[in-house]
Amino acid sequence: MKLFLLLLATTAFAADPVAVRLIPSTFELHRAGATQQLLLIAEYPDGSTQDLTDSAQWTPNAPAGQVTAATPGPIQVSATYGNLNATAAGRIETAAGPAEFRFRSAIGSIFTKRGCNSPACHGGVKGRGGLKLSAASLFPQDDYEWIVKGGEFQVLSAESKTARTPRINLQNPVESLLLRKATGATPHGGGKRFAVDSPEYQTITNWIQKGAPFGPPEDDTSRVTALEVYPKILALEKDQKHRLLVTAIMANGRREDVTAQALYLASDRQIATVAESGLVTPAALGETSILIRAAGQAAAVIVGVIGDPIANYPVVPKNNFIDEHISGKLRRLRILPAALSSDVEFLRRVCLDLTGTLPPPARVTEFVRSTDPKKRERVIDALIATPEFTDYWTFRFQDLFRVALFSNGINAKWSQMYGEWIRESIAKNKPYDRMAWERLSAQGYDGPTRHFLPYDVIGSPEETMAEEVRVFFGRRLECAQCHNHPYETWSQDQFWGLAAFFGRMFKMGDTGNEYVIFDHPLNEGMGNSEVNGKIQTLHPRTKAALTPTLLDGRVVPPSDKENPRKALADWMVQHPHFAEAAVNRVWAEFFGRGLVDPVDDFRSTNPATHPELLARLAAEFRRNGHDLRALMRLIVTSRTYQLSAETNPTNRADRVNYSHALPRPLLAEVLLDAIGQVTGVAERFTTTVTANGKVTQQTPAGTRAIQLREPDLFHSRFLDLYGRPNRLALPERSGKANLGQALNMLAGPIYNEKLAASEGRLQKLLASKATDEAILNDLYLTALGRTPDAAERQQILTALSAQPNRNEAWKDLFWAVLCSREFAENH
Amino acid sequence: MQRRNFLSAGSLGFLGLNLADLLRAKPNGKAQSCILLWLEGGPSQIDTWDPKPNSAFQPISTNVPGIQISELLPQLARRMDRLSLVRSMHTRGSDHPQGTHYAITGHEVNPAMQFPSIGSILAKETGARNSMPPHVLTPHWEKARQYEDYFRSGFLGPEYDPMCIPDPSKPDFQITDLSLPKSVSAEAVENRKGFLQMIDRRYRTMVEGAEHAQMDGFQAQATKMLLNPAVREAFDLSKEPAKLRDRYGRDAVGQSALMARRLIEAGTRFVTAAGFHSNSWDTHAKNDEGHRDRLCPPLDRTLSTLLDDLKDRGLYDSTVVLAMGEFGRTPFVNNDRGRDHWPNCWSLAIGGGGIAGGRIVGASHAEGAQVTSRATSMGDLFATIYKAFGIDWNKEYDTPIGRPIKIANSLEDQTGQPLNDLL
Repeated sequence: MKLFLLLLATTAFAADPVAVRLIPSTFELHRAGATQQLLLIAEYPDGSTQDLTDSAQWTPNAPAGQVTAATPGPIQVSATYGNLNATAAGRIETAAGPAEFRFRSAIGSIFTKRGCNSPACHGGVKGRGGLKLSAASLFPQDDYEWIVKGGEFQVLSAESKTARTPRINLQNPVESLLLRKATGATPHGGGKRFAVDSPEYQTITNWIQKGAPFGPPEDDTSRVTALEVYPKILALEKDQKHRLLVTAIMANGRREDVTAQALYLASDRQIATVAESGLVTPAALGETSILIRAAGQAAAVIVGVIGDPIANYPVVPKNNFIDEHISGKLRRLRILPAALSSDVEFLRRVCLDLTGTLPPPARVTEFVRSTDPKKRERVIDALIATPEFTDYWTFRFQDLFRVALFSNGINAKWSQMYGEWIRESIAKNKPYDRMAWERLSAQGYDGPTRHFLPYDVIGSPEETMAEEVRVFFGRRLECAQCHNHPYETWSQDQFWGLAAFFGRMFKMGDTGNEYVIFDHPLNEGMGNSEVNGKIQTLHPRTKAALTPTLLDGRVVPPSDKENPRKALADWMVQHPHFAEAAVNRVWAEFFGRGLVDPVDDFRSTNPATHPELLARLAAEFRRNGHDLRALMRLIVTSRTYQLSAETNPTNRADRVNYSHALPRPLLAEVLLDAIGQVTGVAERFTTTVTANGKVTQQTPAGTRAIQLREPDLFHSRFLDLYGRPNRLALPERSGKANLGQALNMLAGPIYNEKLAASEGRLQKLLASKATDEAILNDLYLTALGRTPDAAERQQILTALSAQPNRNEAWKDLFWAVLCSREFAENH
Repeated sequence: MQRRNFLSAGSLGFLGLNLADLLRAKPNGKAQSCILLWLEGGPSQIDTWDPKPNSAFQPISTNVPGIQISELLPQLARRMDRLSLVRSMHTRGSDHPQGTHYAITGHEVNPAMQFPSIGSILAKETGARNSMPPHVLTPHWEKARQYEDYFRSGFLGPEYDPMCIPDPSKPDFQITDLSLPKSVSAEAVENRKGFLQMIDRRYRTMVEGAEHAQMDGFQAQATKMLLNPAVREAFDLSKEPAKLRDRYGRDAVGQSALMARRLIEAGTRFVTAAGFHSNSWDTHAKNDEGHRDRLCPPLDRTLSTLLDDLKDRGLYDSTVVLAMGEFGRTPFVNNDRGRDHWPNCWSLAIGGGGIAGGRIVGASHAEGAQVTSRATSMGDLFATIYKAFGIDWNKEYDTPIGRPIKIANSLEDQTGQPLNDLL
C-alpha cells in the first residue's frame, strides 16, 4: 500500500508532444467533391496520445482536417503543431463529369445520418408506421421500393399489407410524403428530422425532380463490406476531445471516408458523448463504447475516460502474450493491476477453475511449502491430468451442448450416449474443431446425432442452425429467422440458406425407439411417412424451396452420395468466427466474462474489450490444432489470471479490463460438491425416470453433481436455487443471489443434515478429541484453502469457548463457513 | 442499490422483490390474483365444455339459458353463470412438452431461449403482497419434473419463478425451507449470523462484490420469514374446516385447489393447482371411461367448490379462475377407444376477477374438430387476463440481447387481443 501511494504522487504533466502523425498517411479520392478526414495525432513521452486536429495549422487549408477533392492529381497535406509537422500523401482521381448518382450513398446515407433507418425507428424489425427501411441502408433496393412504390411492410410476407401508394410525388416533389413527414409538415411519430431549407431537403427534392432514379445497381465499387474506425480503443483524459475517423471498405478493396455520413451513438452518455461530426467529449471516468452506423454496416469504438497520469507506472512482469495485451491497455487507461495472487489464493482459484473441485488440505500445505519457482506451472499440469479435470469439462460441455433427457429424444439411453461422446472427447483432448465437426455432421446412431432430437422429433432446420451458429460462432442469428437482422448484416435469405443444410434430416427405424438419423439425398419421398414432404426447406417470406447456401454465398447442391452437413461443418470449423468464439467461451470460464460478453453475442455493435488479444488467442488456438487443454494452460499460466482479487484505488471500479480477479459465484453443481467435500457427506441424487428399462432410484454413492448428465432426470432443489439450467434452451446461468438461497441456507436440508450426519467430517472431528484449534485449521484449509490468520483464530476460538454447547457451537461455525461469501465464490 | 435501501425494502418483500417492485403502480383492474386449475394431459372438449353428437355423453342444460355442457359436469352446470367457456382455442404443440410450453408461455419451444410463463409475468407485473411468494405451483411434479420448468420465469429472473411445493393432500405434507428444522433454534440462527460476520469480515474488506450486499438483504429477509409464523400458516391446510376440505375433495386435485385459494387470500398472485398430475386427462385409451369415472367427477366437484368458496369469501370478483389443459382431444376415437392430442380446436373455462361468467366465446364445427368462429390463441386468452388485471397486454419485454418478447403472443407474431365479450 505504501508503495502504491508513492506511485500516485503526481508529477508535472508532460505537456509537449514528442511526435505527431497524420491518420491516414495516404489516401485517394475518387469523385469530385469527395472529402477525406485527416486526424493529427500527437504522441507524448508517457506513451499517451492526443487528437490535435483542431489546433493544427493545415497546408493547404483543410478546416478541421477535411480535404475536399478538386483538381485531379497528387496532393500533399501537411499539418503543423508547434514545431512538429506531419505530412500525408493523397491522390485525387476524379473521372470526367459529375460523380455517378447512387441511391444508397446519396439518399440512404441521409436516412442513416438522420436516424430514420435506426433500429428504434424505420430500421426496426417491423419498420414504423408501415415504412420499413434497412438498418444503415444495408438493402438499398428494398428501401428504394418502399419509398418509390410505397406500401405497408409486414414482417412475415414479401407483399405489402395494403395497396401501394408512392411516398414521393414526381409531379410536385415538395408535396412528397417522404419530405412532408421528415420536415414535420405532416404529423410524424419520429418528429422533425431536417428543415425545409436543409441540405438533406435539397438533395431529396433534387432527386425526386430528376425522376427519383435508383442509379446503377450496387456493384463492387459501391458495395461496402466493412467499416474501419480509427481509433479502435480511445483513451481520453477528462479535458480532452477526440475525433473519430470512419472509413468504408468497398468490395473491390477501395477505401472511402464516411466520417461525415456516419451516425454515432454513445452507449453510456454519463461517460462520454459524441457529436454528429464524430467528435468525442468525455463526461466522467469509466469505459463505454460508441456505436457507428454507415453504409449498411456497423462498428464500435471503445472509449475509456482515464484518470490522472500515474508517475513511475511500474513495469508489470509478463508470463505470456495475454499479459502484454492486458497490461498494455491497463497502462493506457491509467489503471494499476493488482498484485500477484498469494499461493493459497491462486491454488483455490485454479483448482476450482480447472477441476471444479476444492484443493484437498494436503495439496494446499504442500503447495505453500514448496520453494520450486515453477510450482504454479507444475500444479496446472498436474490438475489438467486429473480425472476431475475430465469430469469438470465434460460437465461444462454437457451444459453448452445441452445433454438432457428432453433435449435428446426423451430417452435416457440417448442422452447418456450423447454425454459419453462428450466425455470421451474431453478425456482424449479431441481437437475442438473435430468435436464441432462431428456434432455438426453427425449421421446414423452415434452419440452426437442425438442432439438433433429435441422432444423426440428432428428439430426444425432453422432452430437447429441458429443453435449451431450460436454455439460455434458465438453469434445470434435467430433474429434473421423472421426478418433481416436488425443490428447486423445478416439477411433473412442468408439465414434460410444456412438453415437448409439441416432441412433434409430424417429419422428411420421402426423397432422400438432405435432411430438412426440420415440426410435425405433426393427430392422425392422414400416411401416413408417420416420422410415424405419434409425434405424441403421453404423460405418463409417467398415460399421458395431453398438450396443449402453458406454465408459467403457458396451453394452446396444436394447430392445422392454426400451428407450436405459435412460441407457445412468443413466451412464452419475453418471460419475465423469459429476459433474466436471458442477462445472467448473458454476465456469466460476463467474470468467470469468474455472478451466479447455475453460470450455468444458477437456483433459489430458489441465490441471485444481487447480485440487484438482475441485475434491472437484465436490464431494461437488454430496453430495448436484447436487444443483446448493448451488454450486453458495458456490462460491460467498468464499473470493476468493469477492476479489477486484485492483492489487498489485505480482499479476498484474496473470490471472489464482484468486489472484484478473478479469474484465469481461457484456454479450450482460445484458449490454442492464443495459442500459435500467440506462436510464429508456427499449428496445422493434420485430419479424416478426409467433408464434402460430400469427404474434408477439413486445415483451410486460418491457421484458428484458435476458428474450428473441430465438435469431433468436428477432433480435437486438446491441446484435449481443456485441456477442450474435445465438445458431445454441454451444455458444462460445466472449467479444472482436470491431469497430462496437464503431460506435454504437457514432451513434447508443440505446444510443442516450434512452438519449433523454422524459419518460427516464435523462429527468425526468432534469425536476424535481434536482441539478446537486443530478443527478450525482443518475447516479453513478444507473450505477456504487457507489457514485462519492470527486475528481470526483468536476471535473465533474466543467466541467458541464462550458457547455453552461445544457440538452446537461447532455446527453453527461450520454452517457459517459454508454460507460465507469467501466459500461460495471463486476469487 | 445501497445496502440500507435494500434492507428496508427487504423487510417488505418476498423472493427477491426490491424497491422497484414496491414502487410499481398496483394493478388497476378488478383482478388481483389468478388460479390456474391445470387439467394436465388435455381434456376432451366434446366430453366436457363443448358437447357434440360424437361424444358418448349427453348435453345438459345449465343455469344459463342457451348454454349446454356435458352431463359429466352436473354441479358446474348449476354454476355456469360464474364461468364462461371459450370453445375456439386454437394453439400449437401436439405433444405434451410442446403443448404445455405453449399453453403456459404463449410461445413455441425454442432452443435459443426460455420464455417466461404467464404466472411469472403476472407476478412481475403485480408484485408481491403481504410477504407472500407471488407465484406458487402445487403439487410439484414427482416424475417428469422437467414440466415444472415451463412454469418458470425464463429471463425475468429467479424471483418470479414459481415456488413449487409438494402435494398438500399427503399426510406428510410440509414445505421445506419455510420453517426451521427442529434441530435449529432461534438462538442458533443468531449464533450463526454472528459467526458468519466474523468469518466473512476479512474477505469482504479485501474483495468487493455486488452479491455481498444482496445476499445480506436476502438473509435478513429469510430470517424474518422463518421466525414469522404468518407466512407459514398460509400454507397450513389444517386451519381450514374439515367440511370444506371434504367438499374440495381430499385428493391432490381438491387439496391443491384449496391451497390455491388459501394462498391467494394471503396475498399470492398466481397459483397453479396441478393436482391432476397423478390423474392425467391423457386418455389415449378408454377415453369415455376415463372422463366418466376418473376425471370429470373431481373436476366437477373441485371447481364447483372453488367457485362457491371464492364467492363466500368475497374473492370471486378479484380472482380469475382458469381451468384448462395443454390441448384438446381428437373428435374421433382411435383403436383403443381413446382420443389423441388435438390443439386445433379445444375448450376452456374462465371466470372471476372481472371476467364475466355465463358467456360463450367462439364455436366449433359439428364434431368439434375445427374452429368456426373467433379462433382464440393463447395470446388472446392472456390478453384477456391482463386486461382484467389492468395490465397493458401490448407490452413487450426486452430479453437480455434486446429481442422484444410480447407478453401476449398470438399466432403469426401478432399481439393477442382480449376477448372483450368477457370483460
